[in-house]
Amino acid sequence: MLTIKNLEKRFGSLRALDDVSLEVEDDSIVGLIGPNGSGKTTLFNVVSGFYEKDGGEVYFKGERIDGLPPNKIAKKGLCRTFQVSKAPEKMTVLENMLLAAKRQLGENPFSALFMRPRVQKSEKANLDMALELLDMLQLSQLKNDYAGDLSGGQKKLLSLGRVFMLKPDMILLDEPTAGVNPTLRVQLMEAIRQLQKMERKAFFIIEHSMKVISNICDKVYVLNFGKKIAEGTPEEIQQNEQVLEAYLSGA
Amino acid sequence: MDIAQILINTLVRAAELSLLAIGLTMVFDILKFANFAHTDYAVLGALFAYVFNRILGLNLFLAIILAAFVTGWVGILIDQAIFKRLRKIGAKPVTLMITSMGTAIALRNLMRLIWTSHTKTYAIPLQKPLEILGARITPLQIGIIVVGLLSMIAFHLLLHRTTFGKALRAISDNSDLANACAIDSEKMIKRMWFLASAYGVIGGSMIAMEHLLYPRLGFDIIIPVFCATILGGIGNPYGAMLGALTLAFAENLILALDLAPLINLGGLFNVGSIQISTGYKPAISFMILIIVLLFKPTGILRKK
Amino acid sequence: MPIINFIIYLLTMIGIYSLLAMSLNFQVGFTGLINFGQVAFFCIGAYTSSLLVVNAGVPVVVAFLVAMALSGIFGYIMSIPTKSLKSDYWAIATLASGEIVRLVALNEAWLTAGPFGVMGIPQILKDLIPKDAYPVFYLLFVIACIIMVYIFLSMLTNSPFGRNLKAIRDEEELCLSLGKDTQKLKLQAMIVAGTVGGLAGSLFAFYIQFISPENFKPIETFLMWAMIIVGGRGNFKGAIIGAVVIQLFNVSTRFLGNYVPLGSDSMAALRMTIIGVLIILFLLFRPEGLIKEKKKVYD
Repeated sequence: MLTIKNLEKRFGSLRALDDVSLEVEDDSIVGLIGPNGSGKTTLFNVVSGFYEKDGGEVYFKGERIDGLPPNKIAKKGLCRTFQVSKAPEKMTVLENMLLAAKRQLGENPFSALFMRPRVQKSEKANLDMALELLDMLQLSQLKNDYAGDLSGGQKKLLSLGRVFMLKPDMILLDEPTAGVNPTLRVQLMEAIRQLQKMERKAFFIIEHSMKVISNICDKVYVLNFGKKIAEGTPEEIQQNEQVLEAYLSGA
Repeated sequence: MDIAQILINTLVRAAELSLLAIGLTMVFDILKFANFAHTDYAVLGALFAYVFNRILGLNLFLAIILAAFVTGWVGILIDQAIFKRLRKIGAKPVTLMITSMGTAIALRNLMRLIWTSHTKTYAIPLQKPLEILGARITPLQIGIIVVGLLSMIAFHLLLHRTTFGKALRAISDNSDLANACAIDSEKMIKRMWFLASAYGVIGGSMIAMEHLLYPRLGFDIIIPVFCATILGGIGNPYGAMLGALTLAFAENLILALDLAPLINLGGLFNVGSIQISTGYKPAISFMILIIVLLFKPTGILRKK
Repeated sequence: MPIINFIIYLLTMIGIYSLLAMSLNFQVGFTGLINFGQVAFFCIGAYTSSLLVVNAGVPVVVAFLVAMALSGIFGYIMSIPTKSLKSDYWAIATLASGEIVRLVALNEAWLTAGPFGVMGIPQILKDLIPKDAYPVFYLLFVIACIIMVYIFLSMLTNSPFGRNLKAIRDEEELCLSLGKDTQKLKLQAMIVAGTVGGLAGSLFAFYIQFISPENFKPIETFLMWAMIIVGGRGNFKGAIIGAVVIQLFNVSTRFLGNYVPLGSDSMAALRMTIIGVLIILFLLFRPEGLIKEKKKVYD
């Protein structure tokens, strides 16, 4: 599904990504871990088109996507969430969900003015889907609250909901459970696993909690100082000495 | 116009603009907003200098120094009254920018109310131009270039010899205020406003000396100053100087240029010598600004 | 009855500025585009429609439509740099572009009669309306335009298109990550805003019947800004209320000038000082303006 070859990214003299190659296969859940500042979020930013790469190639569903703007990449079915959740301040939770819906009618002035009955019909369908997702994420009661007023954990949940509205083929999740309460965290992971099984979507997840990672991931990559230092199943990674060392020296 | 004259005019203009651009770039860098009132502070100072010079009879040089000092405090006061409050409630930079536009309108018109719209001049003896390499330069213009150079050397020393300067450079290098500051950040912001406003006053007074002084002057020079700042790369004081120099050169070159060959397209038409009509003089820096923004919004000297 | 005439004049000017404030609000309040050159739309609309009628004898309806189209195109041109520019840089550029438009009107005398301005702009439907009733007729015409624009803009802002614009205003990167072409959306928003601004310009020219570059100084943009800051952004009622407050203040103080021992220049300066202070006070103490942005509630 996603293939990254020899990816490079520099900030001045700092090598944020140094010759990183990795692969996320169809309908699998892959984890990405590493100490703070190891380049995880940078990798997501380059893959999703927010940063320009300095070298290497990125392929999604066999197509080369590096160099494309973020919106084009998202349109191709590769979507992401952000480490610090972005929540439009003066838009309600439901508006946020509707915003994300894919291929809406009425997204340009012309159709917004002249195709109103059809726009309203598609809005209704999106609304139903949004409400269902909010229910699953336990955000239903907040549906008419401004997204800017939510707590950090709730914003995380909302950003998950938004990405699900897009129905992408692959989702990049940047610390999806940070700030989410433990019970909900388990449910979230369950939801991710179910989605992967039912709709055969691929996930690529940055996580801090080793526990979360080993619970749901099929495969894990480890970054340190912008370099890939290990890959393997969660069990293999947990026993990898290099990884332990990186984490210990980082802590 | 020959090249020597263009170079002299460039130096004079660059000296004036860079002192204004330095302040603008500091505010932009530290508080992250474009201060649309910056040149109005400068004009306020120039008008103070006018009062000290013409009404109190102070020597012009001293008058400007005193005015720079007073306006430095005005800069701090306005920050305390307006911008600090906005920082406290966590307003976005965009809000600060819009507020600075409101401040500019209020300040400009307050000056117009106090000093009227009439143009003013300082007590300067009539200037007799000297000839250098066939170009004309007045003693006043020489003075402007010298003062400009001295101010920039002083700024360089300040950047490298004081804790304030070191903190400033640290911020310019990357991180935000909170991380870079060994010293208290509000104190740092106060010093920054003082310095930005005071330097602006020197630049503004020099423009007023060479041309005319009137309350609306701030609006007429805001675009060139922004242009120099952006051209040099925001957050870089040396860039501001270089940007001012580049803009001044471009302005003078375009003014002096004969555009006929461009229009004639190698003999296709036959138009005599054409120069930019004086009515479009203010538009030159606007056009340069837009071109810079379109093609090199990061400026010549990129931030590290 | 001069007082009635004055009130009708005041209401008409409020109406024309309401359109400009709604257009600015559409950019600032909904899309987050900080346009300090809003007066350019006003200027292009006024000059295009009046020159077409006065110099080329084009029917008024066509002139209005062409004026709106040209302002819309100018909006398109202004939106191009938003692709590579951060919002503050773009704001600086708009300030310059507003002045460039005025300088063209001032300098291209062969087209615009330069500083002398365009004179003898005819009244619309002059022969059909009795002379005494004309001011009222024009006021009604302006009000009809406001109602139309209000409905038109509200339909847009309540649609998925409007939702996308709001998302650009609040979190542009999020919008990109959701696959929205934010550049195209901004472009469409600027065209819409430009068209409305062009309509206001045309209405102004045919009301005043004489326009010159003096009418389109940067100060006009600041007045429009004061309107949306005082009235409130993110809703069109706020823009109209703002236009009422600021124009009432602006126009009525001109007449107060007769009773205050200040010259006209000082009076104008005092007026603008107060408007500047008003902008600051609102941003500090009531940033949402008189009318708050309405929350969109689903049940």
